Amino acid sequence: MARYAMVTDLRKCVGCQACTVACCQEWGVPAGQARTNVRTTPLSGTFPDLKSTPMVEQCNQCDRPSCVEACPSGATYKDAGGVVQVDGGVCIGCGFCLDACPYANRFINTATRKVDKCDFCSPRVVRGEPPACVATCTAHAKYFGDLEDRGSEVHRLVFWEGARRQETSSVAIGPNVYYLGKPELVALAFSSDPPHSPKLLTAGQALNGLVRPLVVGMVAATFLGQAVAFFAQIHKGEGDSHE
Amino acid sequence: MAMTITRRGFLKSAAAAGVAATVAPASAGAEVHPPGWSGAARVDKIASNCDLCFWRCGVLASVADGKVVRVEGNPAHPQNKGRLCARGNAGTGLLYDPDRLKTPLLRTGARGEGAFKPVSWDEALDFLAGKLREIKEKHGPESVALFPHGIAASFFIPLMRAYGTPNIGMPSFAQCRGPRDVAYKLTFGRPVGSPEPLDLEESRLVVLIGSHLGENVFTSQTTAFSTALARGAKLLTVDPRFSTAASKSDWWLPIRPGTDMALLLAWMNVLVTEKLYDREYVEQYTSGFNQLAEHVKGLTPEWAAPLTDISADRIRETARAMGAAKPAVLVHPGRHTTWYGDDVQRGRAMAILTALLGAYGRKGGMFLPTSIKTGGFPTPKFPVAARGRADGAGGRFPLAGEEEGVTNGLVDATLSGKPYPIKAWITYAQNVLGSIPQQARTLEAIMKLDLMVVVDVLPVEQTRYADLVLPEATYLERYDPPMVVATAKEPFISVRMPAIKPLHDSRPGWWIARELARRLDLLAWFPWETPEQHLAKLVEPTGVNLAELVATGAVAFPGKPYLEDRPSDERVFPSPSGKIELWSKQLADLGADPLPRYTAHEQPPTGFVRLLYGRAAVHSFGRTQNNEPLHALMPENAVWLSTATARAWGVADGQRIMLENSDGVRSDPVLAKVTEGIRSDCAFMAHGFGAHAPGLRLANRRGTSDNALISRVSVDPLTGATGMRVNFVRPVRA
Repeated sequence: MARYAMVTDLRKCVGCQACTVACCQEWGVPAGQARTNVRTTPLSGTFPDLKSTPMVEQCNQCDRPSCVEACPSGATYKDAGGVVQVDGGVCIGCGFCLDACPYANRFINTATRKVDKCDFCSPRVVRGEPPACVATCTAHAKYFGDLEDRGSEVHRLVFWEGARRQETSSVAIGPNVYYLGKPELVALAFSSDPPHSPKLLTAGQALNGLVRPLVVGMVAATFLGQAVAFFAQIHKGEGDSHE
Repeated sequence: MAMTITRRGFLKSAAAAGVAATVAPASAGAEVHPPGWSGAARVDKIASNCDLCFWRCGVLASVADGKVVRVEGNPAHPQNKGRLCARGNAGTGLLYDPDRLKTPLLRTGARGEGAFKPVSWDEALDFLAGKLREIKEKHGPESVALFPHGIAASFFIPLMRAYGTPNIGMPSFAQCRGPRDVAYKLTFGRPVGSPEPLDLEESRLVVLIGSHLGENVFTSQTTAFSTALARGAKLLTVDPRFSTAASKSDWWLPIRPGTDMALLLAWMNVLVTEKLYDREYVEQYTSGFNQLAEHVKGLTPEWAAPLTDISADRIRETARAMGAAKPAVLVHPGRHTTWYGDDVQRGRAMAILTALLGAYGRKGGMFLPTSIKTGGFPTPKFPVAARGRADGAGGRFPLAGEEEGVTNGLVDATLSGKPYPIKAWITYAQNVLGSIPQQARTLEAIMKLDLMVVVDVLPVEQTRYADLVLPEATYLERYDPPMVVATAKEPFISVRMPAIKPLHDSRPGWWIARELARRLDLLAWFPWETPEQHLAKLVEPTGVNLAELVATGAVAFPGKPYLEDRPSDERVFPSPSGKIELWSKQLADLGADPLPRYTAHEQPPTGFVRLLYGRAAVHSFGRTQNNEPLHALMPENAVWLSTATARAWGVADGQRIMLENSDGVRSDPVLAKVTEGIRSDCAFMAHGFGAHAPGLRLANRRGTSDNALISRVSVDPLTGATGMRVNFVRPVRA
């Protein structure tokens, strides 16, 4: 079984945002939204003793994903390679998973009205290509591969080079995105935008128990309603349709 | 809102509900077509060169149903090897920019009013040819000036030379690389060139002086830079601002702006007095070492410390680090080098430092170019301009290149009528209001002209001052001359081929130039009919298979990047003496300093800080601010102010302020970014924003223009290049 992971080498990353644009272009993400985001940490220290680093963020494809727990429609699930997927056909755009994600790496795509996020470019990977961000990275700072494959670059970087993932004592759900770099800079990258508290997760989980049957009911109702509308429309013809 | 539901919409929604009901998600990854795919049976990948900046990386444009759906890096390209920066990835943002110039436009109102009527290409070109004939007859052909930029300019330059004018001004010289290239040519016998031949990936110590790699992104240079860092190369950054590069540095020297020369001379002093320079190399390849040693004798770190605001210990420590890492030390020659007016001399100091470290033509330093012999159709000699050049190149600016010219020299001539009046400007892919400093003078010159012609893809700021606007096709829709790159370890030829036909009523540059040539009876300089013929002739002597070149986008040749690759009789330098000229006879003959000397530059008056400017990773010049995906990432610039400056000025982070320079010129409102990451005697902003260009709906008046605040320049007497870091600003309430 594959266990896909991404490693970003912060020593190399210059924060140029090529990954962000490549990803947006690859997946038609509307301008102003992105699956991969680059930021520069706030400066730590005072002039001239300063520290800062670029930081790249995307869905962590967590081992124990709180978003999957929170999703009332079943649209969000973890696939065989450990990648968290969103089935756009099933997603109702409720946004519960956005609140559940400790890393704020999900968004509602303004064009599709569905939840959107990084899926490690699964369709590209299926056809043997690296994710778009990895393929374009001007700094060669991004690595993608299977952690189960002992010969892979990511295996080496994670198990031998000590790449680290962003977890805290309270948020430890097994992210599969790792970072290499000077320890103090990786720490700065992590601490400057820490994952948010697990309280939300609990709330989401609690809510989930209540809401899921309700939502399934709503989806079914929508389906029925559309069926009625459709047949009504067939009855009067589609001359005035506007799609 | 009334909704009607189509059969397709219903089926989609039904499928979705069905899946939800069973909670059995479909497996992802069945898609095997590119994004934006519209069902076309065939997706073509056309190899070409990017044009979002001048680095011109190799790209693959995916075309489906006649539409470019994606632009990616070309993995087969020797330069960028499949990688592409943010701008390159946003190629379709330019191609499908709704604000593109779509048809030729002829001015109907007063100049600058912005009133135009669309005209046909025949009408436009007949009008222009008629005007050019008239101007030639009345005022002589030299009274027409061309302001080109970029690769397709290679069609407009021969056109205008054939017409009879030598007056061609590219901002790449007098507003950018000019002083650097002249300095390295004086020293090593050849200019640095572009892309710069930097052996970053093999370097043990990279020295950046004002270069902000990372924010200044050229894909292959970024790759090499990052590779060097990952391999453990040390990084030394000299910058008044805590740049991205500074954040990765082993040494960050936040130097007092304008004092780089003192630092360079003190470094040389340490290398020479502590005998840390490469003695064998210096003896074998250079001349004038003794004069240099004598010259830097007293220029100690203790001398430089109070000037530069860098401690003597730190200067000594970094000089020793260079000495220890030599010859694998890369002193980056910089790119935008027009700072203070003594820029050739600063470039000379950097070149001499490189030579002392034995780093020119050596692994980990600067490598040597390997030229590729190309061909071309025989064409007649250009007519000799009876009145010489108007821009001062080769005259009052003795070391200015006659190929690239002096843009600001042409502005001077237009304003003064000396040495003779300039009556017409043709701009190609260059917005002179953004590229040339002293905007007010440029505008005044434009208003004096009999004819102003703009050839561009977008309605940039200057467009509204044009009499005639010619809409050019973008790089994805046109053929351009290939890039023939000698300054790569493996030199290469790389082509730009159209991915799709020109949209709207735009035309490729080659076609516009050739059609004008036809109307001016100058076709003898364009003895080909199609771009394919032009390309075939050009690559003929290389023996490259044309079909292969077009299919893969580029072909590389073996190079000889290091001195050691060359037999000893080839280890000569193309300077007059065949040596690396540390002491420059050429400069002495011109009455200039044969060795670089420190000149104190004016420091900001009380209440003011020096205005610095630079690049942002997601934008190129002022050309990408209207590109939607890039605009979304950085819609406007901000002015960096130190915490201390902001406190003194009473400005808060995120506040919108206006800046006023010491000539009383006011900026548009701009966001203040208050940070510890800059010295308190300067402010910084990214270049290229704040254009007053109503036709650019996203970019118009977003952010503020650094160029608008550059009302003073310090002109380099050797090259005419405009030092632009000599303006001081203070806040005024927005």
